[in-house]
Amino acid sequence: MSDTLLAILHMCIFPGGLFALAVSFFFKGLDRRVEARLQRRVGPPLVQPWLDLAKLLTKETLIPRTACRPAFLLAPVFGFTGMAVCAAFIPIPGVFQGLFNMGDLLVIFYLLPIPAMALMLGGSASSSPFGAVGFSREMLLMLAYETPLLMILLSVAMLVGKGLAGGAWGAEFSLLKIVAWQQQTGSLGFNPAMIPALLAYLIFLPGTMGVAPFDIPEAETEIIEGPLLEYGGPLLALFQITSALKTFVVLGLGVALFFPGTISDLWPVNLIWFVLKCLALMLLSLTLVKSATGRFRIDQAFRFYVTVPTALALCSLILVWVM
Amino acid sequence: MSSGTFTMPLGPVHVALEEPVYFHLTVEGETVRRVELTSGHVHRGMEAMATQRSLIKNTTLTERVCSLCSNSHSFTYCMAVENVLGIDIPERARYLRVLAEEIKRVASHLFNTAIQAHIIGFKSLFMHVMEVREMMQDIKETVYGNRMNLASNCIGGVKCDVDNELLQYIVKMIAKVEPAVEEIREIYETNSMVLGRTKGLGLLPREDAVRLGVVGPVARGSGVPVDVRKDSPYAAYPELEFKSFLEEGCCIHSRTKVRLNEIFESFKLIRQCCERVPQGAVVAPMRQIRTAEACARTEAPRGEVFYYIRTNGTDMPARLKWRVPSYMNWEALGVMMRDCKVADVALITNSIDPCVSCTER
Repeated sequence: MSDTLLAILHMCIFPGGLFALAVSFFFKGLDRRVEARLQRRVGPPLVQPWLDLAKLLTKETLIPRTACRPAFLLAPVFGFTGMAVCAAFIPIPGVFQGLFNMGDLLVIFYLLPIPAMALMLGGSASSSPFGAVGFSREMLLMLAYETPLLMILLSVAMLVGKGLAGGAWGAEFSLLKIVAWQQQTGSLGFNPAMIPALLAYLIFLPGTMGVAPFDIPEAETEIIEGPLLEYGGPLLALFQITSALKTFVVLGLGVALFFPGTISDLWPVNLIWFVLKCLALMLLSLTLVKSATGRFRIDQAFRFYVTVPTALALCSLILVWVM
Repeated sequence: MSSGTFTMPLGPVHVALEEPVYFHLTVEGETVRRVELTSGHVHRGMEAMATQRSLIKNTTLTERVCSLCSNSHSFTYCMAVENVLGIDIPERARYLRVLAEEIKRVASHLFNTAIQAHIIGFKSLFMHVMEVREMMQDIKETVYGNRMNLASNCIGGVKCDVDNELLQYIVKMIAKVEPAVEEIREIYETNSMVLGRTKGLGLLPREDAVRLGVVGPVARGSGVPVDVRKDSPYAAYPELEFKSFLEEGCCIHSRTKVRLNEIFESFKLIRQCCERVPQGAVVAPMRQIRTAEACARTEAPRGEVFYYIRTNGTDMPARLKWRVPSYMNWEALGVMMRDCKVADVALITNSIDPCVSCTER
């Protein structure tokens, strides 16, 4: 009973749910602000994501007459649940070990595509042709960026596995052990063999978050938000929350995989340190990239992902293997 | 229609289109197989309205046909009226008309270029180009008092004189805008993201361009040398030096290149106007209205604008008819969009710089 309660608390309040939402809404506000400054605009206030959320929650829920009602309604809930659970598995070094100490790379790898799937489900259930085009684009993009992600995770797992086994062949998929090993022997982000993997992860981030140059499934000027076109009100708010939680998950995963070092024994300091590292990761891989690029066409994006980040991740994988 | 295709409605209200047009796309996966265009959503009956207003009031009306090429409409209308009445406009007015026209052309081309960046999702570039365009808007506001409708033309000349102080101000501002546009041109010619989305797409081969009679930067981007300023020079253009740019690429990128290069020619023209504008009157007196007909044509930012007027001795025209460049370029969309991707529809539409309110008036 208490275990269940604890799990629910971890998913709803800390680190998943409310905490993750607060952190990523803060990031989102900052992201919009920094982007605006890069374009010599003023930008919205930092609380804008909260205001947007509040506005959406007060709106009416409209369901298109031709939509498949259950799937249309369930898609955002499906995506949200997936991300809330996933967020609870993300360890915050020096603060939180991950739900039941069992944050597992493979579990996270399976949970990560859920928001994209929810988007695909919602898009196709909305019966809008834009949703259908968005569906096919999201699917292609997902296939393209999941391959390098798997290779990145494998190279980390193999490197740590080999380290733990004293040089023998091995793979370690427990995020907790990966973090602990790095805290003892140094962050993987500074390991020459892992630098290509880190770069590949930085390239993976804008794709999975659907921001420029990879905002193709929701391209506003092409297919008017695609799958999200028919969504409004609380359902759209749920999609936004899901996206915010996903930001937390992918940034937190990046920190856990590459830079899990702590700077103090006090947990509040470590927490702030973790947030700052996530923020640096976001500004580098999302905000700056977004303000310096336009949008790829889906075929260009697909070709890009199956070449550049895949090659980088493969490079790390081979380096780990031969070293 | 085969089973693999589905219909995709684009417009009439769509984020990438500033004005209402409806594209009925038959799509197979991401590839567009057939395009049907429907327009007429913003018809205002302006040609009929023109026959119920006096010749003088129609200057104001024609200026409101379109916002981006507003000056070209009143300019051409005034030329048509001057032709029908046999008015010779003063030397100074001819230069001042070219000045206003070229300032509008720079702003219009920059606007189109910015929208292209917006459509490919390049927000920073969009903001950057719009910021440069804002300097042109400042010029318009300072010199003419308005940001869009300059209200500079009137029958027989120009309404307000531009004094030496303002001419110097224009030259000073142009010196500031030019390096900024140079930078923009470099971005559009070298940025791989922009090139990847625009080069080799939306092809309009030379033969099709000639067959469809496209005009303006669309024609020049397909290697067809048409430019009214060169072909039948009007106002002060015969005395001014400028080049008409041709590109052989026939794609979206060539049209953008034509526009960006033309901006520099416009700067040259503006400078020459400011230097060479002679002193004297700016407006010639009105003459007796006869029963007659006449036409006039000019090169608007989007291509040739043609006005036809018939008078019957009263102060109201018996018929006023105009043909705008977008009307000619419209049909070319069918060729450009042949088997294109859904992602490129808006981009291709923008490449002809469509002016729907002109076309439908």
